[in-house]
Amino acid sequence: MPAPERPPPAAAELRPPPAAGVIHDIGYRHHDGPRFGRWYVVRSLAVHSLRGAYGLGRPVRSKVMPALLLAAITFPALIMVVVTVITEADKLPLDYVDYIPVTFYLIAIFLAAQAPQLVSHDLRFRQIPLYFSRPLTYADYVLAKYAAMVAALLVLMCTPLTVLYAGALLAELPFWAQTRGVLQGLAGALLFAVVLGGIGLAIASATPRRGFGVAAIITVILISYTVVSSVEGIALEEDHPEVAMYAELFTPFNLVNSLQLWLFDREENALFATLPTPDGWQGVIFAAVALGLVAASAGFLLLRYRRASAS
Amino acid sequence: MTAIQLDRVSRWFGNVVAVNDVSMTIGPGVTGLLGPNGAGKSTLIHMMGGFLAPSAGAVTLDGAAVWHDHGVYRRIGLVPEREAMYDFMTGWQFTLANARLHGLPEPAAAATRALDIVEMAFAKDRALDTYSKGMKQRVKMAAALVHDPAVLLLDEPFNGMDPRQRLQLMHLIKRMGTEGRTVLFSSHILEEVEQVASHIEVVVAGRHAASGDFRAIRRLMTDRPHVFLLRSSDDRRLAAALIADASTASVELDGRERALRVQAVDFQRFVHVLPLLAREHGLRLYEVAPSDESLESVFSYLVAS
Amino acid sequence: MNATVAGITWRAMVGRRRALLLFALPAVLLLLAVALRLTGVADVESARVVLGAFALGTLVPLLGLIIGTGVIGPEIDDGSIVYLLSKPVSRFAIVITKLVVAVGCVAVFAVLPTLLAAVVMASGDDGLAAGYGAAALVGGAVYCSVFLMIGVLSRHAVVIGLLYALVWETLIGGYVPGARTLSIQQWAVSVASATADEGAISADVGLGVAVTMLVVVAVAATGYAGWRLRSLALTGED
Repeated sequence: MPAPERPPPAAAELRPPPAAGVIHDIGYRHHDGPRFGRWYVVRSLAVHSLRGAYGLGRPVRSKVMPALLLAAITFPALIMVVVTVITEADKLPLDYVDYIPVTFYLIAIFLAAQAPQLVSHDLRFRQIPLYFSRPLTYADYVLAKYAAMVAALLVLMCTPLTVLYAGALLAELPFWAQTRGVLQGLAGALLFAVVLGGIGLAIASATPRRGFGVAAIITVILISYTVVSSVEGIALEEDHPEVAMYAELFTPFNLVNSLQLWLFDREENALFATLPTPDGWQGVIFAAVALGLVAASAGFLLLRYRRASAS
Repeated sequence: MTAIQLDRVSRWFGNVVAVNDVSMTIGPGVTGLLGPNGAGKSTLIHMMGGFLAPSAGAVTLDGAAVWHDHGVYRRIGLVPEREAMYDFMTGWQFTLANARLHGLPEPAAAATRALDIVEMAFAKDRALDTYSKGMKQRVKMAAALVHDPAVLLLDEPFNGMDPRQRLQLMHLIKRMGTEGRTVLFSSHILEEVEQVASHIEVVVAGRHAASGDFRAIRRLMTDRPHVFLLRSSDDRRLAAALIADASTASVELDGRERALRVQAVDFQRFVHVLPLLAREHGLRLYEVAPSDESLESVFSYLVAS
Repeated sequence: MNATVAGITWRAMVGRRRALLLFALPAVLLLLAVALRLTGVADVESARVVLGAFALGTLVPLLGLIIGTGVIGPEIDDGSIVYLLSKPVSRFAIVITKLVVAVGCVAVFAVLPTLLAAVVMASGDDGLAAGYGAAALVGGAVYCSVFLMIGVLSRHAVVIGLLYALVWETLIGGYVPGARTLSIQQWAVSVASATADEGAISADVGLGVAVTMLVVVAVAATGYAGWRLRSLALTGED
């Protein structure tokens, strides 16, 4: 029986020797071309947050509440327009500047519900580091979120104002008076949006739990409003109108309302009929407090996210 | 003899069918529920634990339905996947609270015993939010064991654990199994299931794909090629002889390993023919080993099909 | 009623940041009452305003919302309720125990301060303290039961509760008198009116209707909450 005389040929003759480690180019491409700048990043984040505030790009459930509030705040405007047209009145039942203070409950609910929607998700699921590993500083993040909140509130407030304006023009009310009115209304809306948006965002960013943020925001707004209303009622009873007027400083809606009344030189306060409006230098105090609130909110947010970006 | 029975169980969420006509029996010992992510393992465990109702079929424990029966938790211990616990409590307080909620006559003694089993007595007075992930998992086990249940359900217990913690937990689970409890744990990682479970249930895309010992499952798949690693006195001649036979699909000479890799399509015929051919050609077989018996290949074949 | 569940719920409520809100709100009420008293403005009329609008109108519903959703919402949200549900404890027992803890919190954080504020401002005149205290207790308890139920049903319980309290009770209730018959707030006011001295507090809803509705709503809400808790799905995040 023939037995093999030699061992089988060495492995080296069958295969080439293994090479040193090598990484192959399998087609992964870097992007070395032009990129959009930081401004584009901030804008994208703001647009994304704004869309999220109205539930766009989210499941249907998130669209229900903003849609309901938008409808609820526009509905009275529609009614007013219809009434004006039918009765052929020579002015709208409610002035542009007064519309927002009257519907402030709805705006408060929107703020309380949606401000946490903008910031709590990122905090709860620890996504902040993901944001800051991109060319986005913490100041940019705060700017984007603030802008989105202001824009969201503006959409809410300007929709009924637009409806009122369109209706006024349809009812053939004097053009320039109406235009001036609506511009004042829009400017007032901007003031409301900036002050309230800041407060809402600041409170919401203090907690990763969304439900708690909602409760906290509405508590601050409602409690301050009720306390101030009670104090004002009592002060007017006891014939201290000055005290009543300055009490307005302590709750955000009334503060901005008085501020816009001062700015546009109006006498009647829609929130509280017998309350005096600020006059001359008194209004400067209101403006200063409003500015202070905005600065405090922005400062709190910046501090908060600087801490988050550093950790 | 506590056994969980699933009888033609289906569960759908709107248009998505998460579990599709699954029937299985989970008996005493350690059973591994294996499947890729999204296969429906969590849904199955939730149904077995009485937290989800089947859309069709029945889930029973020793004949009695598990759904809507809170008394069944006297016999079931559940270790959930999600990490959230009552963070303000210490390990001891948490285990004690669980013992009390079970209405045990001596909750403190039961809690001590449970913490000793999971070897967490050393940290029992620290708050839960200071625990590492492995420690939290062990305290969850203690809470599930405090009432000495006959059935233990663990949802992805090895998620995110480092090798040492994993070893400890595997040891613990095996011990629970040898004590006669019915233990079921889910995983998508093959090594874990391979090393701990004596019996596996494979779930793929909501369907019950396979059940039994993993080697037995492999055997059953005779329509797939078996790959053997052979070493003989003359590989090339053996290769030529084997490829001439119908039972062999391909032969490959692996120069580096100095072995012959054979793909056999007809397992029975191949194991019969191999020694005959070797003797016929005067070859000596030094090594005949199956080279894909691990669960890995079972899994990939099942998933691929 | 389960002592362990009660213990866990109580510790979860008062041991966190939520407790800040719980302490802060009655503090504001008491500060206001004291301030009004010190400035000599406190009289029966102003007491009625403060207690009616602030204590009963804002403090009680808000605290009912925060406490009612707070005893069960966070647990369902992060999934730690599984440790209560995977025990041989009746779901109704769990709900009732949490409700009892909630009412206890309401008693401490809403009823007591209301009583104190009433005494500070009106020192027992016209039975205002007893009236508003009773209303706070009854109203707070029913608010808790309703918001607890909403907490079991939905992850957005706080917003839904807000919509109810602000839009339905305050806004719509302010303009549509019919809506007042279906308002927990108004039922509580009826109880206040009946408990205080004759004619001290005016109510829009008759006492019989109010008490019946309070009881029916509380029982129905608690029952439904227990019923739905049996079928709670512990899915992932929203």
